Amino acid sequence: MSNATDTVTGPEPMMAEPSSFESIYRERLVPMGRYLRRNKLMVGGLSILGVIVLLVIIGHLFYQQDDRKGNPQGVSELVYAASVPPRLKPSWNPWGEYPLGTDEQGRDILAHVLIGTPKTFRIGAIAAAIGIGVGLILAFVGAYVGGWADLIIRLLVDSLIPIPGLLVLILIATSLNPGQGLTENQLAFAIAVLAWPGPARVIRSQVLVMRERGYVTMAQMSGTSALGIIFKEMMPNLAPYLLASYVAALTGAMLATIGVETLGLGDIDAPTLGAMLYWIIFTNALLKAQWWWLIPPIVVIVALFVGLFMISAGLDEVANPRLRRRV
Amino acid sequence: MPSKYIVGRVGMFFLTIFLASTLVFFLPRLSGRDPFREKLFEEAQRGGYLEDVDEIAAALNEKYGFDRPLWQQYVVYLSEIARFDLGTSQFTFSKSNNQLLAETLGWTIGLTFVSAMVAFFIGTGMGAIMEWRRQNTGLLAAMAPFLMMSAVPYFIFGLVLLTVFWFSWLQAFDWELFPPYGAYDPTVEEWPNWSDFRFLGSALWHATLPALSIVLVSLGGWAMGMRGMMVTTKGEDYMLQAEAKGLPDNVRFYRYAIRNSLLPQLTGLALQIGLIVSGVVLVEIVFTYPGVGGLLVQSIRNSDYPLIQGIVFVLAFCTAVTTLLLDMIYPMIDPRISYSGN
Repeated sequence: MSNATDTVTGPEPMMAEPSSFESIYRERLVPMGRYLRRNKLMVGGLSILGVIVLLVIIGHLFYQQDDRKGNPQGVSELVYAASVPPRLKPSWNPWGEYPLGTDEQGRDILAHVLIGTPKTFRIGAIAAAIGIGVGLILAFVGAYVGGWADLIIRLLVDSLIPIPGLLVLILIATSLNPGQGLTENQLAFAIAVLAWPGPARVIRSQVLVMRERGYVTMAQMSGTSALGIIFKEMMPNLAPYLLASYVAALTGAMLATIGVETLGLGDIDAPTLGAMLYWIIFTNALLKAQWWWLIPPIVVIVALFVGLFMISAGLDEVANPRLRRRV
Repeated sequence: MPSKYIVGRVGMFFLTIFLASTLVFFLPRLSGRDPFREKLFEEAQRGGYLEDVDEIAAALNEKYGFDRPLWQQYVVYLSEIARFDLGTSQFTFSKSNNQLLAETLGWTIGLTFVSAMVAFFIGTGMGAIMEWRRQNTGLLAAMAPFLMMSAVPYFIFGLVLLTVFWFSWLQAFDWELFPPYGAYDPTVEEWPNWSDFRFLGSALWHATLPALSIVLVSLGGWAMGMRGMMVTTKGEDYMLQAEAKGLPDNVRFYRYAIRNSLLPQLTGLALQIGLIVSGVVLVEIVFTYPGVGGLLVQSIRNSDYPLIQGIVFVLAFCTAVTTLLLDMIYPMIDPRISYSGN
C-alpha cells in the first residue's frame, strides 16, 4: 500500500529528514492508531494478550513464596513452588498463603500458571516461526522453480494436510524421548515439523498471484534479479499475509503443545499448562470437586486462544478485506 | 464425472495412505529402541530379579520379526497394512490390534460423524440466514458468542462444559444434569445392547456433552464461512436476474443462493477433517469416552508401539477416506466444475 506512494513521491522522504522520530510518529504511528481505532477486533485481541502478559510479569515480580525450607540454591522461588516433589497439601483458601490454592500434588497453582503460560507460548512461538520459515522457502521454490519441484511440494502439502497432525506428533513424541516425555525444545521442533504445509499452501498461492502483478513485471524488465524481486518487491507486500499465517500457525502450535502435553507426552513434571491439564484429567480432579485446580488453567488457555483468534480475524481484514475467516 | 478427476483424487488418496503408513512405520523406528527389552527390564526391576532378559527380548524380537533388516520389515508391514492387518499389540496379549480397534472405533466414528455433521449443517444454515436477512441485526448479535467459542480448542471447551453443566449443577442443585464420563450407564450388566431403547437413550445422554463441545465450537466457523460466501453470491448477476424474473424469496434462497455458496464450505469441511479427528481424540480423553482416544492414552502409557501405530494408521485412513468421499460429492453438487484435477 505505502509502496505505491513511496515510488511516486520518490525524493520527498529525504526532505522530511530533520527529526526522524517525529516523522516516524507522523507517518507510521498516527495512521496506525487511526487504523486500529477502526479495527476493533485487533485491538480487543491485542489487549487480551496484553493483559495476560502484564499479569504474568507482575506475578513474576511480586509473587513470592515464604516456604524456603529445602529450596535448593539457584532455583527461583516461583519455580520451586511449582516444582514436582509434593510439598504442600491440596487446599483451597483464597486468603491464605497460596491465593489460588494448591493442587493434589502440593504445587502452588498460581506459581504453576505464572510459569506455565509463558512456557506454552514460547513453544508455540518457536514452532510457528520455524513452520512459517520452511513454508515460505518451499512456497518460493515451488512458485519460482516450478516443474518437478513445484509438483512434489504441492503433492506433499496436499497429501499431508488430511493426516491428523496430533497423531503424527504422538508418533514423533513416542519415538524421540520415550518414557520421559519431550522437553520443551524437542516439543517445539516436533510441532514445527508439522507446521509448514498450511503456510506453504497459502503463501504459494499468494506468490503465484503476485508474480503476475505489474510492479513485478516492471522490476523484471528493469533487470532486477529474482532474489531482488523476492526480497524487495514481494516480501513487503507479503507481510500482512505472513503475519496472518504466523498468528494462525501460533494458534495451531499452541493447541498442539497443549494437546500433546495433555496426553502425557510432554514432560509431565514440568510446570506447563498442558502438564497441568494432564494431572487434572488423570487424577479426576473435578470428580473430587477440586475446581480451584481446573479453573485457572482453563481461564488462561481460553483467554489466550480468544485473544489470538481476534488478532487473527483483525489481521485477515488487513490482508484481504474480502476474505471472511473460516476457522 | 470424467475419469481423469476420479483417477486424480483416488491417486491422491493412495498417496496420503502411503505417506501415513510410511510415517507410522519409520517414525517410531528412528529411535532405535527395543521396547520388549525395556519393558522386560522394567518388569524385572520391579520384581528385583534380572536374568536372561537379553535372551527373552531377542526371542520376542525374532518372533515378531523385529530382528530382520529394516527394508524386509517395511515390505512385510506394507503387505500387512494392505490387508488391514494391524499386527499384535505388544502388551495386550489376548487381543489383536484389529480387535481392540473394532471395539473402540465405532464410538469415535459415531461421535465425530454426528457432531461434525450437526455443526456443519446448523452453522452453514445460520450463516446463510444471517446474510439473507441482513436487516435482522439480532442474528449477528446472537452469533457473537459462537464466534468467540470457535477460538477455543474442543477439549478445553469440553472441560468448560463439564464444569458448567455437570460440576456447578451438581453443587448448586445436588443433581446431575449430564453424566460426566463414559458412553452409557455402566451399572446395567447386559449393556451395550443396541436393540434396547433404554440403552440408546443412555448412550445419547452420555454423548451430549462430548458432542456439544465439538458442535458449539465448530458452529461459528461454518456460519462465518457461509456468510462470507453468501455476500459474494448475492452480488452475482444471476441473483439480480432471479429477482427480476420475480422468483419467490425461498426459491432464490434455496435454489440460487445456498446452492452456489455451499461449495467452498464443502472444501473447508474436507480440509478440516484432520483437525476434527485430532480434536475428538482429546475430547474423548476429557470425557473418558470409550473411543479410540482412551485406547491411545493407554497404549502411550504402556509404550505399546504396534498399538499406537495401528491407531494412528486407522485414524489417518478414516480421515483420508472422508476427504476422498467429499471430493467425490463435490462435482455432483456443482456440475459446472472443470474436472482438470486442480
